Amino acid sequence: MHADVIVVGAGVAGLQCARRLSGAGRNVVIVDRARGVGGRCATRRIDDQPVDLGPMFLHGRQPAFLAALDELGDAARLGGWPRRVRGSGKPCQPDAFVPGERRTARADGLSAFPRHLARGLDVRLRTTVERIVPGPGSWTLRLAGGEEISAPDVVLALALEQSLALLDQVGGGGEIETARALLGMFSSLPCLTVIGMYGDDAPVPDFDVRYPEASEVLTLVAHDSAKRPEPRALALVFQAEPRWSREHLGVPEEEWSTGILAAAGDLLGSWAATPRQHSSHRWTYARVDRGNELTSPLLIRGKAGARLGLAGDVFAPGGGIQASYLSGDHLATRLLDEE
Amino acid sequence: MDTVMQLDDLVARDREHECEGFGIGRVCVRVVGVADLPSRFGDFRIVAFWNNRDGKDHVAIVHGDVVGAHHVPTRLHSECLTGDVLGSLRCDCRDQLETSLRAIGQLDRGLVLYMRQEGRGIGLANKIRAYALQDRGLDTVEANLALGFRDDERDYSVAAHMLHSLGVASIRLMTNNPNKVGQLAEFGVKITDRIPHILPPNEHNQFYLETKAARSGHFIDFANKPHLQEQGENILVEGMEET
Repeated sequence: MHADVIVVGAGVAGLQCARRLSGAGRNVVIVDRARGVGGRCATRRIDDQPVDLGPMFLHGRQPAFLAALDELGDAARLGGWPRRVRGSGKPCQPDAFVPGERRTARADGLSAFPRHLARGLDVRLRTTVERIVPGPGSWTLRLAGGEEISAPDVVLALALEQSLALLDQVGGGGEIETARALLGMFSSLPCLTVIGMYGDDAPVPDFDVRYPEASEVLTLVAHDSAKRPEPRALALVFQAEPRWSREHLGVPEEEWSTGILAAAGDLLGSWAATPRQHSSHRWTYARVDRGNELTSPLLIRGKAGARLGLAGDVFAPGGGIQASYLSGDHLATRLLDEE
Repeated sequence: MDTVMQLDDLVARDREHECEGFGIGRVCVRVVGVADLPSRFGDFRIVAFWNNRDGKDHVAIVHGDVVGAHHVPTRLHSECLTGDVLGSLRCDCRDQLETSLRAIGQLDRGLVLYMRQEGRGIGLANKIRAYALQDRGLDTVEANLALGFRDDERDYSVAAHMLHSLGVASIRLMTNNPNKVGQLAEFGVKITDRIPHILPPNEHNQFYLETKAARSGHFIDFANKPHLQEQGENILVEGMEET
């Protein structure tokens, strides 16, 4: 199979890049190993109640990004969320609370944003890229299952380490080696996440988001069900400190989720340690740390006009969803302008 | 501009200053402190600015009376910790800064705008990452772009507002880069002349006389380290043709 552009990763960066290229008439195929679009901008449905498990809200100030958020319309927008912010711990993104920053959440879950970006695009889900093979004038992507697709332009819009893993297999010197060396100097932070669903007997917290100041385990507690107009159950999302997360990445899920819930009990009261049900997610490459970002996407020249682009949260200042969006947008501009 | 206004008056004048701002970033600056700064290059005063955008304390290093003055020799310098302070030979920053301060110190008046945009605004860490790539002998054009080293991202709106706040009527810009003249003029700075910024030859910059600029302004110097061009313009050494 053949396309003009293959985008690997259906997160916000990849989707925005694909959306721009598709709008300019390119035949774009997006592949992602997951079951849904959005990457880390993720919402899980638990008994039909949306629960955000990546970022808890979106924030930014760049006009292009804010305009894209506005495309979603007013219906389910929770402008200004979170309003009740407690605790003096460090937010995952300190920029989120500086003056002039716009914050918003969605009553239908934050994945509404990537789902909106994906509208009309050719997205192949549950599709894993195993290897990128360079050829003259194009790249061939070997997929799990044996299928191959090729295109003159390939965009890697994955977490930094995941892009690097694919680059490692491409081989070749020159710009690819430079890109590998460059990205090897950056790294992502992990974040172990637990969603707790509580019964009617649990007290309803008085915060939207809490950043614990003294916990070695928890970096954030989000009152997720406060985002839902008629929540069926109290839903809290607990996200672990980068350091604690890293130490527990390799241990079984039951162990670390128990540790996180115990810390929740210490913080909020013993009731918080025993939700009616809980689920969890291991974000191995959750986000980039402040000051650990590039300023623009990479565009590498391959053989005979083939091009390989890299976008994602590390490829624009500030990190997070806004940076992802802008880096994807910027890469599309470069791919179109430098043809 | 009131003709009797002095540098020291600018702090009180700017206490409540707020304007529409310069450029698309709507940059607004205020003079927040003025003090004497005698230096090895002459008698200077230093002027500290607050700005509403980047949290950086940009400064002007001023010699003689510049408030209300015309044709003020002016140099823009971007902060470079490794060059300016540590004496790195990977760039020309210290030579360029010292030459401009020394030249201005010997004139009736003049000023250096010292912009706190280390590594062209992308910070020290990314600059050192770029050095690390160069040390490995890698072709870093695209990487430098991603790290933030690019000419077109330079924003002269802060510098333009600083000149406006200083009440400088017109400047003679010390630069080898004609683009800078146009960029500043766009923000309403009156530039009556461009003074080529020429370094006297010495053992450290002899290689410029022999080596031509390569792709994206990289040079190979005598220490055998590739050069990152941090001040956004080609160096000129006395005896070298301006291109």
